[in-house]
Amino acid sequence: MIAPKDQSRDRPAGIQTLGASFRDPSGFLFTAEGVLYRQVNQAYQENYTQLMDSGLYDKLVKSGLLVPHQEVDIEPAVPGKAFKVIQPKHLDFISYPYEWSFSQLKDAALTTLKIQKIALKFGMSLKDSSAYNIQFHQGKPVLIDTLSFEVYEEGKPWIAYRQFCQHFLAPLSLMAYTDVRLEQLMRVYIDGVPLDLASRLLPARTRLVIPLLLHIHMHASSQKRYASKTVDTSRQVNRTAVLGLVDNLETGIRGLHWTPGGTEWGDYYEDHNYSPAGLEHKKQLVGEFLEQIQPDTVWDLGANTGFFSQVACERGILTVAFDIDPAAVEKNYLDCVKRGEKNMLPLVLDLTNPSPDIGWNNQERMSLIERAPVDALMALALIHHMAISNNVPLSRLASFFHQLGKWLVIEFVPKSDSQVQRLLATREDIFPDYTVEGFESAFAEQFDLVRVEPIQDSERRLYLMQRQKN
Amino acid sequence: MNILTSLATILIYPLKNGHAYLDPGSGSFILQLLIASLVGGFFIVKTYWKKILAFFRGQPSEAEDDQAE
Repeated sequence: MIAPKDQSRDRPAGIQTLGASFRDPSGFLFTAEGVLYRQVNQAYQENYTQLMDSGLYDKLVKSGLLVPHQEVDIEPAVPGKAFKVIQPKHLDFISYPYEWSFSQLKDAALTTLKIQKIALKFGMSLKDSSAYNIQFHQGKPVLIDTLSFEVYEEGKPWIAYRQFCQHFLAPLSLMAYTDVRLEQLMRVYIDGVPLDLASRLLPARTRLVIPLLLHIHMHASSQKRYASKTVDTSRQVNRTAVLGLVDNLETGIRGLHWTPGGTEWGDYYEDHNYSPAGLEHKKQLVGEFLEQIQPDTVWDLGANTGFFSQVACERGILTVAFDIDPAAVEKNYLDCVKRGEKNMLPLVLDLTNPSPDIGWNNQERMSLIERAPVDALMALALIHHMAISNNVPLSRLASFFHQLGKWLVIEFVPKSDSQVQRLLATREDIFPDYTVEGFESAFAEQFDLVRVEPIQDSERRLYLMQRQKN
Repeated sequence: MNILTSLATILIYPLKNGHAYLDPGSGSFILQLLIASLVGGFFIVKTYWKKILAFFRGQPSEAEDDQAE
């Protein structure tokens, strides 16, 4: 698992704490010699012991809901506070809620509620419900924060209720009822969408949906009303009431649906101009290139619904399929769920404005580039969107790809191609260098050309390149 | 625990404080007390209704949750 490092040098040599791991005094993540560990502090001892001894840990791990860990005997990062050090199972890729499709966020929400229901049965409760504590591993959402549980005290309300509404219910209801692109608010607000904002942006008819009326609209009003007041937090409710609250949140989440334009999926994606033989040939070439370089991980940039990403993941390669279109990513995710796909992670990403470093000290959530490099990049039918629609010079595109991947499978789409003609139809052609020669020359500064093949029935070419060491 | 006992104990009652690191927020805290008490009652009715349905269908009453897990 990769994560941003806290650059402050207050640890022994070789040990770095992680930039996102500072809020909870229960413990924190650190790396030692490149391996990720979690220190469990003495303050969390009672809770950790209950998690492990009550059977809750075994139940959640067996159900695939919690990332497994091993207790290890290494020097803690802060020995004075340490109770134990654990080594969580390695995750291949860290993604964030603002990169997920609607159903990914919905599944993450339902997973959080399911974990809370199980935890209550074992005498524990989630003390936070951050969407960032969920990651997709082998196609399924899993809780990665082992220290999220606290011993449940009878009568205590769910402390993470507000966070759940901000991290899950608010963005999902905005996506379902207002506009799917409002998920990007998660990128602006690090602790989830403020409920007063969600309440203002949701249509009035959502006041007729009981879970949204209660947990968004009334919740926002209550926050406003009590904003500057001190309340008696010793008043509490019993376990059944907490279970009822969780059940009602689940009903609310399950009741949220989204399809693009409110249409059925059907043949939503058929927008390419290959002949059947050309498409098959391109697929075969992508497969051959991947066989040649044998990558463990692939990022497919501009993956659409993941047609060519499948060529990679069918070979057991862990494949992250990025696309700018939330509908394409949603379709890809739903297809992956249906197939039980374990090697593919579809994500929403605008390559012209990729995920930045955000949060406290700009170190809580990693930029795309910080999560690089990957073994191999695929950039199929993408270059014209970057170079022409977004005016990125080819040399800068080569530099960008050079940062992201060790190998590059890239398709060049010439100006004569109907898709490029379409992009140029309404604008002046200010791209004299956008030619095969210009492309090869720009990329030769950063990559070594390994193989190039024309794609049957088209004027496009598929290149295999290896990045040069600078 | 029968329905009446459950409904009775769902009423808000004073207890000691916790020690979580998240601030539950004053407005969120008050609202949760209200909503939890309200939907908690429905939850009990719903749970018993499911048990009754399960009984008549000849299914084990705990089946639903465990299937989902």
